[in-house]
Amino acid sequence: MGLTQSAPKITAQDRAVLDLKLQRDKLKQYQRKIQVILDREYEIAKSYLAAGDRDRAVIALRRRKYQQSLLLKTDGQLENLEQLVSTIEFSLVEMSVLHGLKQGNEVLKEIHREMSIESVEKLMGETQEAREYQLEIGNLLGNQLSVDDEEAVQEELRQLQVQSTQPEFRVKLPSVPAEQPVAIEIQDTQPMLSREARERVPVPG
Amino acid sequence: MQLTTHTTPSGFLLPSIHAAHAFFTEQPNPTTQNTFVNNWIQLILSYARHRRLFVIRVEDAEVAGGDWDEILRNERINRRVIPSYLTSLISAMVSRDLAYYEPPKQSRSVVLLWRLPEEWADVLHSWGTATGQINTILTLYEITDPPVPSPLSGIPLSLLRRAITVLTRSGRAQLIGVADGEGVRLLAGGK
Repeated sequence: MGLTQSAPKITAQDRAVLDLKLQRDKLKQYQRKIQVILDREYEIAKSYLAAGDRDRAVIALRRRKYQQSLLLKTDGQLENLEQLVSTIEFSLVEMSVLHGLKQGNEVLKEIHREMSIESVEKLMGETQEAREYQLEIGNLLGNQLSVDDEEAVQEELRQLQVQSTQPEFRVKLPSVPAEQPVAIEIQDTQPMLSREARERVPVPG
Repeated sequence: MQLTTHTTPSGFLLPSIHAAHAFFTEQPNPTTQNTFVNNWIQLILSYARHRRLFVIRVEDAEVAGGDWDEILRNERINRRVIPSYLTSLISAMVSRDLAYYEPPKQSRSVVLLWRLPEEWADVLHSWGTATGQINTILTLYEITDPPVPSPLSGIPLSLLRRAITVLTRSGRAQLIGVADGEGVRLLAGGK
């Protein structure tokens, strides 16, 4: 395979996107930390209340409230970052679409350059002449061959006549019944029982 | 003493040898010890695969209450693996290339390779394809801790790096580094 570089080059845009994503990760980790602190402060407040120390409990809860507001703010910043990241990714996609369109356009122009209108008209005219020429030849040849064709047709007709006069004894269809059929009631309870009895036998396994 | 299998609370089926007293002691006879070591290694790796644990440490035998208690301790026969035995088991696993010391140059904690780095590389690539993240830049943190739990959640960074190295060799990933950290871009290269 050699040293062919199959991987695309790392552009500055890639590094920028990576930077943004790393910042986003940091924010997420920060949020986690705050959440841990929140839970801990909640437990601390509860234990203070249980010990009867109301003031300390209130202070712990106030601290917790402050942390919660921090969490909300980081939520907003996280949203901003994520939006920026997705906008960048989308614009990269758009860029590649544009690039594809440009390339397709170039290819189309090349093809059109090869297929000029005059050459196409000339080609169509030549094809038309060739077709008319062929029809003329066909008519000429057709008059000669019709005699042979007529003999072959007569031979076929003679064979068909011989076949139709032979008697057909292969298929014999039954005759249509002359009277209406009458329903005969046999004892059908017996067969039912035997069928049911048969079903009850377990399959030896 | 009847040797039976036992299902742990986490749903793991312990083999019947786990109910044997002798299984928890290091045997002087090398043949029996070899058999026991093989069984222990198999047990540890399959438990790690079941619970998706990546690391085992000697202190898991020293202190109770860790993730490995269901394996290293058997309350019903009142036996447990002592730390020195666990150390020898760990070094046996490292010598068979089924684990590696992480952080390096110490012998108390290892990362378990219940899946080879090559297999992890395949898992990583197919996860990237399934979530449509080929050709996008991903941070390593994004892979180990995705918002949606994936087969790669919780993988230690060193193992992830090994898997990425495997992918780089076959042209299916690209490692990118900036000042703040590292990222990887998965490429759609065929195998």
